Order: sequence, then structure tokens, then C-alpha cells
Amino acid sequence: METKFDVIVVGAGPAGASAAYTAAKRGLKVLLVERGRGAGSKQVFGGRVYAAPLREIYEGFDKEAPIHRWVRKERVSLVDGNRMVTVEYESDQAASFTTYLTQLTSWMVDRAVNAGAVFVDEVRVDSILRDGSGRVVGIDSGGERVYADIVIDAEGVNRLLLEKLGLVEKTRPSQVALGVKEVIKIGEDKINERFSVAPGEGVSWVLVGAVTGGMPGGAFIYTNKDTVSIGLVVYLETAVEMVEEPIHVMVEKLRTHPALGRLWADGDVMEYAARLTPESGYRYMPRKLAAHGLMVVGDAAGLLLNTGYTFRGVDYAALSGHMAGEAAVKALEQGDVGEENLRSLYEKPLLESFMVRDLRRHRGIEWFMSNPEFFKKYPALAAGVASKLFDLEGEAPTLLDALRSSAKEHGLSMFRLAMDMFRVVRKL
Amino acid sequence: MSTGEAKPKLIRVEDLLQRTVYDVDHRAHIVVDSEKCAKCPKKPCTYLCPASCYVLVDDRIVFSYEGCLECGTCRVICPMDAISWNFPVSGKGVQYRFS
Amino acid sequence: MSLKVVVGIKWVPNTQAVRFDPKTGTLIREGVPSIVNPHDLDAVELALQLKERYGAKVTAISMAPPSAIKGLEHVIGMGIDDAILVSDRVFAGSDTLATSYVIAQTLKRIGDFDLALFGQETIDSSTAHIPAQVAGWLELPYMYYVDRVEEVDEKQRTVTVRRMLEDRLEWYQLKMPAILGVAMKSQKPRPVSIYNKLRVRMENPIQVWSNKELGLDPRCLGLKGSPTLVSKVTWTPEVPRKKQVIEGPPSEAVKKLVEKLCEEGVLPFEC
Ligand SMILES: Cc1cc2nc3c(=O)[nH]c(=O)nc-3n(C[C@H](O)[C@H](O)[C@H](O)COP(=O)(O)OP(=O)(O)OC[C@H]3O[C@@H](n4cnc5c(N)ncnc54)[C@H](O)[C@@H]3O)c2cc1C
Ligand SMILES: Cc1cc2nc3c(=O)[nH]c(=O)nc-3n(C[C@H](O)[C@H](O)[C@H](O)COP(=O)(O)OP(=O)(O)OC[C@H]3O[C@@H](n4cnc5c(N)ncnc54)[C@H](O)[C@@H]3O)c2cc1C
Ligand code: SF4
Repeated sequence: METKFDVIVVGAGPAGASAAYTAAKRGLKVLLVERGRGAGSKQVFGGRVYAAPLREIYEGFDKEAPIHRWVRKERVSLVDGNRMVTVEYESDQAASFTTYLTQLTSWMVDRAVNAGAVFVDEVRVDSILRDGSGRVVGIDSGGERVYADIVIDAEGVNRLLLEKLGLVEKTRPSQVALGVKEVIKIGEDKINERFSVAPGEGVSWVLVGAVTGGMPGGAFIYTNKDTVSIGLVVYLETAVEMVEEPIHVMVEKLRTHPALGRLWADGDVMEYAARLTPESGYRYMPRKLAAHGLMVVGDAAGLLLNTGYTFRGVDYAALSGHMAGEAAVKALEQGDVGEENLRSLYEKPLLESFMVRDLRRHRGIEWFMSNPEFFKKYPALAAGVASKLFDLEGEAPTLLDALRSSAKEHGLSMFRLAMDMFRVVRKL
Repeated sequence: MSTGEAKPKLIRVEDLLQRTVYDVDHRAHIVVDSEKCAKCPKKPCTYLCPASCYVLVDDRIVFSYEGCLECGTCRVICPMDAISWNFPVSGKGVQYRFS
Repeated sequence: MSLKVVVGIKWVPNTQAVRFDPKTGTLIREGVPSIVNPHDLDAVELALQLKERYGAKVTAISMAPPSAIKGLEHVIGMGIDDAILVSDRVFAGSDTLATSYVIAQTLKRIGDFDLALFGQETIDSSTAHIPAQVAGWLELPYMYYVDRVEEVDEKQRTVTVRRMLEDRLEWYQLKMPAILGVAMKSQKPRPVSIYNKLRVRMENPIQVWSNKELGLDPRCLGLKGSPTLVSKVTWTPEVPRKKQVIEGPPSEAVKKLVEKLCEEGVLPFEC
């Protein structure tokens, strides 16, 4: 079958769907290929998406997208055993929302199809095709080839195709984290009641410390319409060294945690899911984001920001896909899909965008993300301080006294404590 | 909270996987060279595979692909390069709905 | 003229995904995706082999709600040429009699087919009625548990099939047109291919027939045309377990288990 497209997009995640949507809307002949059955069936994420970039790409986003709840409460907890210290921030901004990525992606793919893209599911792409002089010319699936002027690689974190192409090295444990998740149905009213939120409003909650057995990483809790998403993220490099019990047991311990479990104890686990994520994008970025006839977008391009308290992957993926879609339109107008032109049309604006600026700014985060001390000692320290302040039996200590004696108990000097805090603050 | 409350039971991984939908292919998408596993000192897959696809039986790794969540962890952490890893074809494998 | 083959497929809920709610004792159906009845893929695979061997044209048919289009796309993705979705509100609530009637009438309307292949049974009802009843309605020869088509003789208009029973193999020659029930798990259904999937998008190979096209008497359709009554549904009673745990490494534990079973005299061989 001799079929040629302007653009072939590999992978219908948020990145690929947005690339296909933008390119098709601007009149290109687009093929979007996804290995899963239907759109969204292979998607897993934590639970919260920042809306601004999506509003820019998709008209009528707030009205039509499958939005479960707008996040009004942000919580961060340090967990030590059954004790925890929680900071809560409340806002009236509609900046981010909770959803299932399975649904959101499916919605995006529908938009791409309505814009004219050809969507083919249940097809695994086996390699990206190059001609004799190394130019990307199409894709191969099970020995069948389909050609295009431009291929957009949106394959996500498991970069089998880019590895085969030699554009990136095989993923190392130090570059990625494993996320494991449960979705628990408890009912809409109970969520409103137990999380003290109004209908349509939700909570985003990040926890660090004992929830990961002190391993670098953290736990998340998001409220959806009538379910909660809970889960863990652990960094594979340290997890390989430190893991002491199966990861599914750790997730189940989170679900049954004495201080948290009562929020959903009577609920029904609807789904159990897992997926990798780039640890922190900057280190996962390929050395170039475009080659002749090729652009790389989303997780595959390492475009994920994890600050420890926010996770921005979906909006970054969508925006990078959108940018690649626009670059494809321009490149085809100019009749030049060469590496230099694609890099200047796509890679350059991307590197100058707020996304990559943020990734750079938060680069130092890796230092404490991979530092087990932070995940063991500091939650314990915080809980210790709180316990000294609030679990009173006699005289009430001053805050500084409580800090000093708790630090001593955990083998941290006040000087060390101050230095670490300084480093963290400077790096955030 | 009262301390007398019964401790909630952990759900076994087999039962967790029942909550997730699969359309299992007759072809295995991951193939493991258990000869190599025999020489592996750590076997981190036995802890970190979220679906417990890798289990130790008489000191040997027994792998089954049916419950695989297609996360990619084993591919990345295997210190022995013992795993040929790919995604299932034909839309088979895990079918996420609420994630 | 080339051989013409029809394959019947049913769009069924993925029964693995259906769970009991322990609290209410009812089935949890929310978000349960449907799939092509897995045993029908064996029939699809056998039909595609006929396409390769004899240049057969293969049409898939399904009586189902519109969402079954996805299932028909899947089998076209595997290589089926085209498909007919037989879909109408008046078909809703059909038992196997009414279903087989509609399928038989669909085959009649297709007309010049040589072979109609069906799966052995479905995962959601497992009656294995449909192919036999279709053959009954059309008064055509029928063979089930077929695992191989040995030969199609287009001149003599016969087909020779093999069927696999528990303890023997049998060969039969049937006059065409004929109805075949394909043994489950007898084939290795091939994967979906990108060219075939592109064909779904570019060529519109799926037709939808409602009762307007078929013009069947409503008294034979749906609930009205379904004489079967479900008189009672019971759950398998729970057998009390002895809950004995055999300790030790599996290889030794298995030996002990076999010994125990021997003592109980439940093994079909001498110990
Ligand atoms: C546990 C966890 C929690 C997260 N939480 C959040 C969060 O709260 N907020 C947030 O914004 N982000 C979050 N993220 C990150 C976010 O999920 C990703 O950054 C985002 O999904 C990346 O989108 P993508 O389109 O680049 O890749 P993906 O979503 O991975 O999509 C890639 C698609 O390509 C398909 N594919 C892959 N290879 C092939 C092939 N060879 N042939 C055909 N198809 C193929 C896949 O099936 C998939 O559908 C989280 C991630 C994890 C793991
Ligand atoms: C007592 C009883 C009552 C029922 N009541 C209802 C009811 O009220 N409402 C309702 O919706 N269903 C009802 N059903 C189910 C429905 O009648 C059957 O599912 C349907 O007739 C097919 O039978 P089966 O699934 O057992 O197929 P089988 O006979 O086991 O299927 C064998 C093969 O026939 C083919 N086939 C089966 N169904 C189709 C189809 N629809 N299109 C194309 N090919 C097909 C497939 O190749 C399949 O592998 C009832 C079933 C029974 C036994
Ligand atoms: S891909 Fe993930 S779920 Fe599948 S076997 Fe490997 S670690 Fe387990």
C-alpha cells in the first residue's frame, strides 16, 4: 500500500494528540498511530493537570474537557510513621484540575480526529524509518511501511524507538521513577465531606517520608469526581538499593495508613496501575529534539517538571506537541524538513519557552530528590518538632527548643540543618 | 481515632490485578532469560515489578507476562540484561479506564 | 468466482473485568469494556487462512449495538475484507433463537456465501446455540469443533474439515454452503496490521443493516421473538475448604500434595 502523509505522529498521549490536532487543524494530512485499543487505554498519571497551556491549544477547553474537580486545596505532608505534619494552601484560582488521563487523552484524540487527523489504534510502531542518508522518512510496523515528510515521536517515557534510532541511550535507573497508583471509589458526597470541599472543587496532596519507606520519592492523593487517586512515586536508582518490601505492599500500606486510610477505607479499588516517569526532565532530554524529518515531544523529550510538590507532565507534553505541530506546518510551507530548519522552528523556541526555563531552574532539585536523608530524617524531624509542640504533657517548649532537641534526636546539628535548608530554598 | 479498630487488610497483588482490565495476548510481549537471572545477585524485579510478574520459586525466577502493567520498570532495572522487552501488539494487554 | 466466507462475531463484555460487589452481591459493570468474543478470533483466523489459500473474500457479521463497530474494525485490522453490523432496537433482548434467526436472515441476504464460520461459544453466555441454530434455519450442513479446513473443492462444492475431540480426530466432508463452528483455542489469531487498519479509515468497509434492510417480522425479533425464560439463577455454592497448608519449597510441596491426593483416591492414574 503506497500511502504517504505529511506528518505521522507516533503515540497518542497528550503530546501526540496535541501535535496531531494542531497539524490537522492547520490543514496537514496527519496520521496518528497508537498501540493501545482506542485512545487513552495505556495512559496512567497521578491526577492533576495545569490548565493554562491546554486552554491555549484547545478552544472551549474549560467547557468541554473531562474535568473532574478544580484544585482549590494544596496539601504537603511530611510523614513519620503514623505522625505527620501538613501544610495546606487554599486558593480560589482555577489553575489546575483533577481528571483521569485515560479520559483527557481520549478527549484530545477526538479533537484531533474532528480536525481531520487519521487515527489508527491497536498498532505498535516497531521502528522509525530512515533512508540511506539518514533522513527520517516514515515508520515501520510489523514489516509494513508508511511514509511521511515528518515523523513526530511522542512515544512517552519508554523510548524504544529513539533508542533504536540511536538518538538516546538506553534508559538508566537514575533517570526515571516508578509510579504506582490505585483509584478508589467512595462517592461524590463523601469526597466533598471528608476533604471539606464544595462540589466541583478538589484537593491535590503530596506526601513525603515514611510513605515510601524513607526512599526518595513521595506519595500523592488527588480527589476526582467520585473517586480518589492515591499512589507512590519512587526513584528507581535508590529504590533498587533500598527497597525492602514489594512495591504493591507499599501502595497497600498507603491505602491502609492509619492517619489517611479512613478517608477512603469504605471505598472500592476500581483500578491498579503503574507507569514510569522521567525523574526530572532535564537529565532525560535527548541531545537534540529534532533531526531531518523528525521531532521529539513530551516525555520522550524529557519535558517533565517534578519539583516534589508539583508534577507538570501533561501540560508540558501537550504544549510541546502543539509547538511541533506548528513547526511542521511552517517547515512544509517552506519545503524544508531538514534538521537545521526543524531545530530552529521547534527546538529553539522550545528551549526558550517557560517549560525548559523552569526545568533548568529546578535542576538542583535532583540533589535532594536523590538524597535519602531528606526522605527519612526531615519528615521525622518535622513530626518530632510538632509532637514536642502539641503532644503536651508538661511545660510547653518554644519552637526553637523543640527544633533543637528534635534535631538532636535525629542526629542532625543545627548547623547542618540550616545549611540543608539554605540549599533547598536556593534551589527551589 | 479509637485504637480498638480492626486493622484494614492489605489486598494481595493477585486481587489488585483483578481490578484492572486486560485482554491478554497468546504471544508474550516480554521474554526473560532465566539462565541470566540465576546469576543475578539482587533480583530487584521481585520487589519492584508492581504486578509481581517476577517471583522466586526455589531460587529461580519465574516470569509470567499476563498481569504486566506495561510500566517498563523491569527493562530499566535489570542488572543482567536478561529481559527482551516490548509492548503487546493488536491493542492487547492492559486496558486502563480510570487512571 | 472466488470462495466467499462469512464469519460471525459477537461483541461481549470483557468478563474478566466484571466483578462482584462484595457488599451488594451484584455485578459491577461500570466501565467494563467490550471485546470481540475471544473464541471468535479463532474463526477469524481460520477464515483468513482460507483467504490466503483460496483467495476467499471474507465478510464479518455481527448482530450488536453500534459500539460493536470497534470490534469489526479490529477484525478488519486482522485482514477481514469487509463487515456488516446488524443493528436495530427491535433486536434488543433476543435470546439465542431470535439471534440465530436474524443471523440466518442476514446470511440469506448476503446470499452467495460458501462457508459461514462461527466461534465455538461465547464467554458471556456460552450456549453454543448460534451456529447450530443458524444451520437449522437455513437447512445447511453443520460441523462443530472444527480445528482445520483440509480442503475446499470449489468444483465439487465440498469442504473437508477435521475436528478434534478429546480422544480422537475425525474428518468430514460437507456440501457447501456449510456452517462451521471452530474449536476454541485451536488457532493462533494473527495481529492487527497497520495497512489493514488504514483501510478501515480510508475505505469505509463497514455497512450497517437495520431491520429496514432485512425486513423481518417483529414478532420473531427481540423479546417478542424469544421464547426462552430464565426461570432461576443460582450461584455455585461455596464448598467448605479444609485449608491445609503444605509447607516447604514448591518442588517438595508438590510431591506431598500428590501423595495426599493419592491417599484421597482422586487422581485418574495409579500412584
Ligand atoms: C505516577 C505518575 C504521576 C504523574 N502525575 C502527573 C500529574 O499529576 N500531572 C501531570 O501533568 N503529569 C503527571 N505525570 C506525567 C505525565 O503523565 C506525562 O508527562 C505525560 O503523560 C506525558 O505525555 P506523552 O504524550 O509525552 O507520553 P505518554 O502519555 O506516555 O503517551 C505515549 C503514548 O504513545 C504510545 N506509544 C508508545 N510507544 C508506541 C509505539 N511504539 N507505537 C505506538 N504507540 C506507542 C503509548 O501507548 C502512549 O499512549 C505523572 C506521571 C506518572 C508516571
Ligand atoms: C436463557 C437465555 C436468555 C437470554 N436472554 C437475553 C436477553 O434477554 N437479552 C439479551 O440481550 N441477551 C439474552 N441472552 C443472550 C443471547 O441470547 C445470546 O448471548 C446470544 O443469542 C448468543 O448466544 P451465545 O452468546 O450463547 O452464543 P453462542 O451460541 O455460544 O455463540 C457461538 C458463536 O456464534 C456467533 N455469534 C453469537 N452471537 C452472535 C451475534 N450477536 N452476532 C454474530 N455472531 C454471533 C459467534 O461466532 C459465537 O462464537 C439470553 C441467553 C440465554 C441462554
Ligand atoms: S513492565 Fe512493569 S509490570 Fe510489566 S513485568 Fe516489567 S516491571 Fe512488571
